[in-house]
Amino acid sequence: MKKFFGLIVAFAFGLMIILALRNMSGFPAYGDVNLAERISGSYFQSAIAELVGSANIVTSVVLGFRAFDTLGEVTVLFVSSLGVALILDFKHKKRMELAFKPNFMLKTASYILVSIILVVSFYMILHGHLSPGGGFPGGAMIASSVLLLYLADDQFRSKIQGFKILESAAGSLIVVIGLVGLVIGTAYFENFLNTGVIGNLLSAGIIPIIYVLIGLKVGSEIASVIDQFLTEEEKS
Amino acid sequence: MNIILLIVIPLLVAFLSILVKKYQMMLLIFVALFNVIILFFLKQGMIFVGGYEDELTHNLLGITLFLDVYAVIALWVINGLILVIALLNIKSYQTYGTILLLAMAGLNGLVLANDLFNLFVFIEISGIAAYLITTSNKKPVSTFKYLLYGSIGSSLFLFGIVILYAMFGTLNIVIMIREIEALNDYRQLILPFLMMFIGLGVEAKLLPFNHWVKGVLGTSNSLSGPMIASVYMAATTFVFGRLITNLFQFEGSLLLVVTILLTVGILVGDLMAFSSTKVREILLFSSIAQSSIIVLLFVNGLVIWAVYLIIANALSKTVMFLVINHSVQKTNDDEVESLKGLFSHNLLVGTTFTIATLSLMGLPLFIGFIIKLNYLTMFAQQNQFIVMIVILLASLIEGIYLVRLLIKLWYPGDQKVEVKYHLAFKVVCVVIALSLLVFGTYSNPLNKLDHNIDEISEVVIHG
Amino acid sequence: MIQYAAIFLFALGFYGLFVNKNIIKLIVSLNVMEIGLFLFIISIGFVSDGIAPIVSSVDDLGLIYVDPIPQALVLTAIVIGVGTTALGLALSKNIFDTYHTLELDELEAIQ
Repeated sequence: MKKFFGLIVAFAFGLMIILALRNMSGFPAYGDVNLAERISGSYFQSAIAELVGSANIVTSVVLGFRAFDTLGEVTVLFVSSLGVALILDFKHKKRMELAFKPNFMLKTASYILVSIILVVSFYMILHGHLSPGGGFPGGAMIASSVLLLYLADDQFRSKIQGFKILESAAGSLIVVIGLVGLVIGTAYFENFLNTGVIGNLLSAGIIPIIYVLIGLKVGSEIASVIDQFLTEEEKS
Repeated sequence: MNIILLIVIPLLVAFLSILVKKYQMMLLIFVALFNVIILFFLKQGMIFVGGYEDELTHNLLGITLFLDVYAVIALWVINGLILVIALLNIKSYQTYGTILLLAMAGLNGLVLANDLFNLFVFIEISGIAAYLITTSNKKPVSTFKYLLYGSIGSSLFLFGIVILYAMFGTLNIVIMIREIEALNDYRQLILPFLMMFIGLGVEAKLLPFNHWVKGVLGTSNSLSGPMIASVYMAATTFVFGRLITNLFQFEGSLLLVVTILLTVGILVGDLMAFSSTKVREILLFSSIAQSSIIVLLFVNGLVIWAVYLIIANALSKTVMFLVINHSVQKTNDDEVESLKGLFSHNLLVGTTFTIATLSLMGLPLFIGFIIKLNYLTMFAQQNQFIVMIVILLASLIEGIYLVRLLIKLWYPGDQKVEVKYHLAFKVVCVVIALSLLVFGTYSNPLNKLDHNIDEISEVVIHG
Repeated sequence: MIQYAAIFLFALGFYGLFVNKNIIKLIVSLNVMEIGLFLFIISIGFVSDGIAPIVSSVDDLGLIYVDPIPQALVLTAIVIGVGTTALGLALSKNIFDTYHTLELDELEAIQ
């Protein structure tokens, strides 16, 4: 009975949204958008695109014009990893006992795979301003290589202290780079290095630097979350 | 002194504080003091983060932050209360210093934001910090329900923001106010406004989305109780107020639906407080009713009185929650019956609690009375008689249960209740109670803020 | 077409939140709802005949591109969703260790 009622409510909800969106004359039809009416139209003009200097316009939005949102996003991930550490806090920890025991071939092959994954992730982080990618997917790939190490070897536990120092240092450096922009120039997060030619690897001012820091931070945070989940209390 | 320092310095100290775990609370108090002090020296106006402004068309290309008198008042309340709560909990909750720093940064950003998506990000930051503060209650099921409701609310809020972006092509609040006034057709905007209202209503404890309040505040302690019930409620209602008075347009059927929802919320909140026997539940249901009254005042355009009510509520609820949570912690019992005679040995704390309660009820000589008198008069001037009757009825019920609570707490029963309060506690309670008393009898300074609050519309008109 | 699919996913996640009582299923329904929302946001930025907003050289700035702002919004929102999900799963692990059950009605009966 509850399921039927829930189905009606959800169906009515979806139908209400669709009908309301069709009746709003201000809401544009799918694909029928004129970019000159939106702010993004001005992001493609050459004088403004060179303010940030990155070939990937989405990166120039994420780390140039809307860099404050990215700072907020980095903070959200920081709070979540802090919260996981607070909730799953035990005094003596050891690796969780799983029913599946990996064998020797899995352990060895995983090291080869980890090196390939790390290379691809660093490529993606460094080319964030030239092609799709950037710090966030790159950091998630670093964390996935750590997850592979955890799954392939049931005695593996990474050094948590190293992750915490890396995370804290990367985060503070991001905020400090923004503050340098405030002190040297006029505004927080101003692009104070030379922006170079659009399309080169060494272009876009502070953006590659910030992406590297974000990649390291995201990678170490998600890796520490993985470690928190795969450990349990040591019952002596 | 740039206003962005209010957000960035707590963030920087929070990132660094996980390396020096023992000094978290010290750093928190230092930063809160710094924030309160630089509030004196900040210039009002708009700043561009990143400095991206198109010189030719004066298009606001990036994110902006806006400081006006309304935001200054909100920042005073938030930073001041966090400083006080941190000072009182410095020994008992050592590991929560970093989380409180992040909550401070998130709440400051919430009040200063002038860009809709930036507002969403700060709502999420302060929301996740709130979930972590409630884990100090050691009730994971209530925290999980709070997380679920909060995430649903934020998703609905984001839905509303995106529909507004698709229609107007900008995310800046000032530019969007201009475009909405140019459009002048509220029917098309019912869906996004309703979604944003529901999204913020979850956090602001409006009915019917406040199922999480009973679990979280019903088992609160002296850190999470005052934080969620006064600081977070003040910040969320300040943001709600700014959006309602400037961005949303409540007319016609939307206004009717919202008014009905809010008046039902007031009545239900007060009735449930009347029928409850646990002290913390009485306080939290009265919080729900008060926040519905505040949003109703904003919807009807009575901005000044809503702001005063937020401040008065935040102060009184801080005192009440601090006193009650401390005593519940010491006696391990929640029922009113077992706390009988609490104040017969603690005269000073009892007096301050009584002052806070009487101000909440709206008796003469306290600031609550002046606020209530003024907004009821304004409702009468607007011919909103049904709303007036509902609020008077709710005040009657509220008076009954609060007086009943006070009588039980003053006169001892069969058992003796012994709770000791340390000195810092007493000082804080006395200061807050004195301010409630003083502003009740001499309310002239508050009237001067009257014409300064509407500055954001000046910016909209003059660019 | 894709906007209808996105709203369908959003409503499906909402139905899941309404009906389910298991904590893990609630977290999964929340994720499905958020995915529907992200698809809807990206679909707002589509321009017919537009290409991906990556500029190959300075001369290319006259072509038709799709809107980059919704893509940047979704980048941020995905990470926020990941943070909330991690916190929810940590809470569920804590609940299971303490109460040995993950059904909301049994948990409310215990407390």
